[in-house]
Formats: sequence, structure tokens, C-alpha cells
Amino acid sequence: MPRLLSSALALRRDPRILKIPPYISLLCILVGTVWLFLLPLDEYSRRTYISENALLPGQVHTYFGGSDQNVLRAYKQEVNALVGKSNVEINDQLESIVKGLGLKTARQNFTYHAAGRTYEGENLYAILQAPRGDATEAIVLVAAWENVKHEVNRNGMPLVLTLARYFKRWSLWSKDIIILLSPDSIYGPQAWVDAYHDAHDSSHVSSLPLKSGALQGAIAIDYSQEHRFESVHIVYDGVNGQLPNLDLINSVVNIAGGQMGMGVALQEMWQHNNKYPQRLRTMLRGMLKQGLGLASGPHSSFIPYHVDAVTLRPFGEGWQDEMAMGRVVEGTFRSLNNLLEHLHQSFFFYLLMHRERFVSIGTYLPSAMLVAANFTIMAIFLWMKSGQPEPASTAPSSAESEKSAPPPTVERDLFLPLGVVTLCQFASAIPLYLFNQAPESALTPLFTTFLLINTALPFALSQFLTSFYAPSLQQYHLIKSFSLLLLGMFLSALATLNFSLAMIIGLLAAPLSFVGPFPNSPVASIICFVLLNIISPPAVLFASALYWGLDVTSVLREAAVAWHVTGTYSAVVVWCVWWPAWLAASVSVLGRPEAGHKKVKTA
Amino acid sequence: MDGGKVTVGRTAGLYIGAAVLRLAIFTLLPGLPDLLTGRVEISTPVTSFKRLQEGLFLYNHNVSPYDGGVYHQAPLFLPLFSLLPNALSYPIFTYLLYIAVDLLSASALWKIADSGEAGSSAQFTSPRREKRWSGFVIAAAFLLNPFTLATCIGRSTSVFTTCAILHAIAKAVSGAPFGAMVALSFASYLSMYPLLLLPPLLLLCYDRQRPDRADKSALSFAATHVPVVFGVLALLFGMSYLITGSWEFLPSTYGVQLTLSDLTPNVGLWWYFFIEMFDSFRSFFLAVFWLHLSCYVGGLTVRIRRQPLVVLTLLLGIFAIFKPYPSISDTSLFLGLVPLYRHVFPLMRYTFVIAAVILYASFLGPAFYYLWIYAGSGNANFFYAITLVWGLGQSLLVCDLMFAVLRDEWEVERPEMVGKEIRQI
Repeated sequence: MPRLLSSALALRRDPRILKIPPYISLLCILVGTVWLFLLPLDEYSRRTYISENALLPGQVHTYFGGSDQNVLRAYKQEVNALVGKSNVEINDQLESIVKGLGLKTARQNFTYHAAGRTYEGENLYAILQAPRGDATEAIVLVAAWENVKHEVNRNGMPLVLTLARYFKRWSLWSKDIIILLSPDSIYGPQAWVDAYHDAHDSSHVSSLPLKSGALQGAIAIDYSQEHRFESVHIVYDGVNGQLPNLDLINSVVNIAGGQMGMGVALQEMWQHNNKYPQRLRTMLRGMLKQGLGLASGPHSSFIPYHVDAVTLRPFGEGWQDEMAMGRVVEGTFRSLNNLLEHLHQSFFFYLLMHRERFVSIGTYLPSAMLVAANFTIMAIFLWMKSGQPEPASTAPSSAESEKSAPPPTVERDLFLPLGVVTLCQFASAIPLYLFNQAPESALTPLFTTFLLINTALPFALSQFLTSFYAPSLQQYHLIKSFSLLLLGMFLSALATLNFSLAMIIGLLAAPLSFVGPFPNSPVASIICFVLLNIISPPAVLFASALYWGLDVTSVLREAAVAWHVTGTYSAVVVWCVWWPAWLAASVSVLGRPEAGHKKVKTA
Repeated sequence: MDGGKVTVGRTAGLYIGAAVLRLAIFTLLPGLPDLLTGRVEISTPVTSFKRLQEGLFLYNHNVSPYDGGVYHQAPLFLPLFSLLPNALSYPIFTYLLYIAVDLLSASALWKIADSGEAGSSAQFTSPRREKRWSGFVIAAAFLLNPFTLATCIGRSTSVFTTCAILHAIAKAVSGAPFGAMVALSFASYLSMYPLLLLPPLLLLCYDRQRPDRADKSALSFAATHVPVVFGVLALLFGMSYLITGSWEFLPSTYGVQLTLSDLTPNVGLWWYFFIEMFDSFRSFFLAVFWLHLSCYVGGLTVRIRRQPLVVLTLLLGIFAIFKPYPSISDTSLFLGLVPLYRHVFPLMRYTFVIAAVILYASFLGPAFYYLWIYAGSGNANFFYAITLVWGLGQSLLVCDLMFAVLRDEWEVERPEMVGKEIRQI
């Protein structure tokens, strides 16, 4: 044992050991990326299964149909007559219908201000009290008047009304059923859920006059197409990449796909042959949506409150009619009705790649952690490197002293590097504040200005540092070290909350690990700086907006709205985690270290 | 040179800056104080401001504050806080009180730093003592430490204990043993565990006596000063009895700490252990845990006899890890004292690792707590794992500091070994 220890100690002194970390770091990134691409293989992903036995999906006979079809047609007439009217007029009419069914109704006003615009409306909701329950639990059925693409929910609205009428006739409900009819798909449900949990700002969102028990689950119907459909599209992404319990998705897949015999699609993959490329694409789309953290439907707002929710959207040309859709909802509600406790058995962290194929957190998390670990490894490496005496001063003595004494550690000068990194971190509050508070008309000029300033800023900062403080190479190493340490820390904490966002930011920031000051070659540092500018946060934002055919203004507006309404924190991660790391790296690339002016002290 | 003037200006600048910063956070982010008050990392059952409000409400309505089992803090807080206007309608007075307490702690720390006790005590003078930070830097490091700031904004009552402990040490190094004993009694009255600091503090007082009225015999010194502590404690208990009208406060404050009857999660290592434990083993393990906590006192006091301030610092670090209801406030006190040992920093071996571990733990802790409590997608093991990492980071710091101090002493004895690598055989 002592021999082993001493040889380990001798190894620690070996100068070659200091050459390894950048390669380990690169290896981490490569393994992390390859890992991600292995996930869709059969060997790494798993078949889905129902974990909560109480759900019993598809085990009940569904009776929705028959004469309810006539009721549906009548409601469809009513709803079609309302298209184009104001929110209040629509709610007046819908309220009279729902009241006529014998349900208690209530309304709620909300107003959101974001990006210089006002988003307001009025929610209508009704509570069907459970014949066999005590109002301690409830399930929610949501229909938004408009879906996220602003198409009128022509079939979904009448279907929900018909279902409400149908559910009222049954005596088997043990949980209250809440029917929520909101004017739009994002703001209305958000205001309602916030107010339901008393987490609203009462100056913008009014409180709910009528409440029921703890929400156990929610299903939203987005059925805007007029004709019959072939398959159901399950939208499950919540705000900030939170996901509903996998059991809920499995139940819907089981009922729609198994019992009703319709197709089920995820992530807008209308065709899916369950082969590797399709699986990979489904997974990557899911990751991108999760990373952006935006609300993708009326269900998204429920998930942060630990209410499992999905939006069901029929699509395609087929022979399934509204009644089949209604039976899917009925079956799902019967399953949720069976629950004895909150959905908790199955996974909350997963990546779906097919309706019956997923990977769980234990399998995919290592890839993001490896990417985050690369930053930490480089930070430790740079710290060790900064403790080494500069090569010129020790070159003659290194040969003889290799055996006798440990290499002397140079005293590190921490104040300047700490100051620079702190400054970068605090400066990140400025773009975050500006882009979240600016009105929509100012966003484009603001973005252009920011892009220009962002290019010039590293030069200015570097010039300032050189002329006032003349940092040494060691201090540049320390700047890099601290900034990478922070980046690695933020990303590994983030990976537990929103894996995809951590992975995306980690990969985009990965090159920052490997750039450093070029003391002898100003040309190289300029080239490196140009390359760095290509992967700067605003440049990537611009490029991805171009790639997806969006204009930057609408992207920024969406981000600001998401920040104010749903509390999406992706912008915080971009501006306060990624951008400061990029800035610190750029400053260190442009750095012109002063060699040999500082005293080498030995400890 | 008018160094005096500059120093006064800098002192005032630091204090005003720290006060303005705190006041700005209090007023510009009005939601933050209540948010932080609810965080388990900051507010423990025995220091929570929310629980204090509850006790205060009961006290003001002539009900025993200990009815209901929520309030576990010292009774004398109640008359103090009922003097202030209601914290809900006029929070500014509470803010000012907490800011003042933080500044008082910083001024005590400044005195300790300026005394130079860390570098050269009565029995040992470090050869490296020249390299040290001034009181200004150390006070600034304490006041601007995010943990101190968070504790102040979260209005945890542990700031009063911190202040009393620092004043006890400051009095001791400035040769006022009586004041030190009184301050320590206050600290012990508020939180109980500072009583364990009595032996090293007595030694520190003994070493730093004024030469004109020095007591030569350590025994007689102890015999005159230990009764002071118990006298003041008795006085405080008597006042508490008069205020609350019964001795009920003893089991509700100190009893809770001794028996860990409130198992609210915190950053310490006790709660999870005692949640998992069968009741029949509870009293045994309570005894073991308390024995473990107190056994460091004797060992460290004897081993590092020549530098009592080091013992105090290390003990505060150990308490921040192993006491029943620790919070980041205890860590901030320990981290406030660590910069006094600037001269042995070059001897420490794991500074970067320690800093990284503590940073990682302080970010992952809230994330995992969120996953457990709010998102519901994690469980208690997530948070406990992080508190273990947090404890590991702090114990690494304690060990590394101890190593550096002992090595510093050792190099004086064995000058030929300076700069050589040592290995335990």
C-alpha cells in the first residue's frame, strides 16, 4: 500500500500528467455526444410500461356515442355561430350552455403585460361535483377557444361540452371534474392554474371564486380540424422542460392506440416507422422543445404545479370521428378516476423516441454530466497550470530537481481573475433585463446594437485589462479556470432540472474549454476570436432564427412573453450562464499576457 | 501620512457600503426576505424568523409562546422584538436591527484581525505571520460573503449568536476576560452550543491577560471566570422565567436541540439519520451524536494549546457541520474566521477542491430540494446526498486548515523540513 501511494505521488509529479486533462476533456465531450446518439438503439432504450397498476388503462367499456352524437352536432352549431365574436360574448353563450347542464360555473379575468403588448381575456370554468367524492381531488378537462396556432377549436369546444353533459349522467366519478374553457392556449390556462394554487399576482390575474380539491391530472383537447382524423398527437412538453408522469402518456397511448385502434404520434412526427433515424429525430425534437422550455399547449402550465397533463390533438385523414376522440378522453378520465394517489410511480424524467420506446434519466443523464464535467476538468487543469512556475524560469533546474522536491507552487494572484469573472457574471443581468423589458418595436434595433457591442466588448475589456492591470499568463489561466468552473457547476445543477437545456448549452459552449491566450501570435488570437464570435450567444440566436425561418424579433418577443407569463428561465440560462462564460473566454483569447514581470514566490 | 484618516474613511465606507447593500436588497426585492426566510438552508427550527413571529404573536396575546410547539428560541427575543413595530407593517425597523447586528459582528471580527492573535499568540509565533490581511479585508470578506448576506436577508436569529461569539473572542483577545465570559454566556443562552467553546476561550483569555493584572495560575483564573459564565446564564434564565412565567422554555428551546424532536430538513447530517431510525435506538444515538460533537473540544484544546484562536475557529467549523440544526449562518461565521489564517494558506493543499465542492453543493442543494419538495420528481435522498457533499466540503476545509496550522507549528520545531513533502508513516 505505501509503495502504491508513493508511486501515485511520484506520478503526480510527472510533468506528463499535466498534458492529459485537455484530452480527457475532449473525450468527455465526444463520449457525451456519442452516448446521446446511442440512446435510440434497442439496447439502450426501453419499452414503455404502465407502472401504476391502479390506472388500468383500456380496461373499461366506454359508452360515449349513440345519441351523444346528436348533442355534439347541436353544440357544434352553437359554437360555429360564435366564431368571430368577442371573448365575453362567447363566454356568455357557453356559460348558459354549461349552466343548463347543471354545473356550477365561474369566470376569471386576466391581463398580462409583456414586450409592450397586453394579453387579456376571461376564463370560463365549471365544476362537476363528484357523486362519490368529497371534493378533495379533481381532474381537469381543458378546451381553449384558439390553439397555439390561433386556429379556432371548432370540434374540441363542442366535444368538451358534450363530454361534460355525458359525464354528468354517470354516478361513478370519485373525483370532481373541472371543465376549463379558456380564450387561448397559453395565457388563460396559466392564469387559471396560478390562481387555482393561489400563486397569482392579484393585480393582473383575478382570484377564482369557485374551487375544488387538489388537481390530479388534466387533459386538453385541441381539435380544430373539421373532418375525420386518423391519429392522435400527444403534446406533453411542460414549461421549463418539465414533463408529466410517463404513466399518463402511456395510458393515453394504451387507450388510443390499443383500445380504440387509432395511431398515436409524438413531437409532430406524423409518420413513424420505429427505425433508428425516426427515433433519433423524435428524441432530438423532444430535446429541443424541452430545452427551449416554452409552453406548447394548454397543458403546459399545469405541469409546474405537479399536475400531470397532456394535450391531445387529432390529425390526418382517417375514419375516426369526434365520438372516438370522446371515448379516448372518457377512457383516460376513467383511468385517472381510479387513482388512489397522485401519479408518482413512473418516470418524470425521460426522453420519448416512439410512443412505446423511452430512455429514463439514469441512461441519458451521463451524457449531459460528461459535457458538464469537461468544463470542471478544464477548470481544475487550468488551476494546476496556473500554479506551475512559468516555463522559462524553471527550465534549467527542472532536470535535476525532478526527483528531490515537489515542484514549487507559485503563489496565485486571485483578486483580478475573481474580479473579472464576477464582473462578467453581474454584467449578464443587463442583456437579461433589456431583452425582457423592451417593447416589441425596440427589440430589433436593440438586438442589432447588442450584437455589435457584443463583438466589440471583449476588445474593450481586454484593452482595459492590459492597460490598467497588465495581467500575467497565470491570471488569464485563472480567469478561464473560474469561469469554466462556474459554467460546469451551473450546467451540472441545470442538468438535473432541464437535461436538454444543459446539454444544448453545454455543447454550444464546449469550444470555450479549449481556447486560451496566444501570447506569441496576435493573428492566431484574432482568428480564434472570429471563430468564437460565430458561437456567441447572440450569433447563435440569430443563426437558429434564420435556420427555422423565424425573424429574430418574434423569437425575442416569445422569449420575453414566456418569461413574464409562464416563468420560462431559458433566457436566464442563456444570458447569465452561457454569455458570461463566452465573454470571459473571449477576453482571455484576446489577452496579451505580460511575461516575466511578476515575482515568482515559492510556498 | 494621515493613515488614521484614511482608515477611518475606509472603515466607514465599508460599513456604509455593506449596510446600503443590505438595505437595497431588502427594499428593491421585497419578496426576497420572505422567500429566504422559508429556505431550510437558512432558517432552522431553532433560528427561523417565521417561527419567531409566531412566538411573538402568542407572547403579545398573553399566551405562552411555547404553546403549539412551533417556537423554539430563547424567551428574551420576545421582549426585544415586541419593542420593534410589527415586522409586517413596518419591516424597516427589523431590517435595521439585523443590519446593525451584522455590522457589530464585522467590527468584532475586525478587532480580532487587528490584534494579530492569529499569527502570533502568547506561546507561538508563526514565521509566516507577516503575510496577513488587514482587518478591513477580513471584515469585508465577512460582510460581503453571500452566506452572511443570505442569513441577514433571511432574518435568521442565528446572527445574534454569531455576533455574541465574535464579541466574546474580540473581548478575549483585547484582554477583557470578564466581557468575553459575559458575551459567551449570551451566545450560549441563545443557542446553547457555544458553551462548548468555553475551554478554548478561557485559554485565550488567560493567554491575553493584561500584564498589569495578570493571574499567574491557570486554575485560579478558571475558578474566577467560569462562575461568571454560569452566573450570567443563571441571571438570563431568571429573567426568562420572569418573562414567560414558567420554566417551560427550557425543554422547548434547549430540549429540542438536545433531543432533536423537530425533524425539519436542514443542511446538517442529523435529520435524515433520525428520520430513518427506529425509536428504540433514538436515545442511544442522540447521546452518541452529542458526544461526538463535544469530544472535539478537549482534544483540539489540548493538541493546539499554543494557539487557542485556532481551536475556536476549528470548533466553529466542526459545529457548522455536526451540530443538530446547522444552517449556512454557521458556515458564514466559520468562513469569516478562516481568512485570519492567510499566513498558512500556502500550506493548505486542497483550497481549489474545497472551493469547488462548497460552490457545487450550494448550487445543487437548492436544485435538489426543489426536485424533492416542489417538482415531486426527486426524493429526500437527493437533498441528503447534497448535504453530505456540503458537510464533506466543510470538513475538508477544517482538516486542511488544521493541517496547515500544525505544519506551521511543526516547521518551527523542525526547520530542516521546511518545504519538504511529508507523509504519514
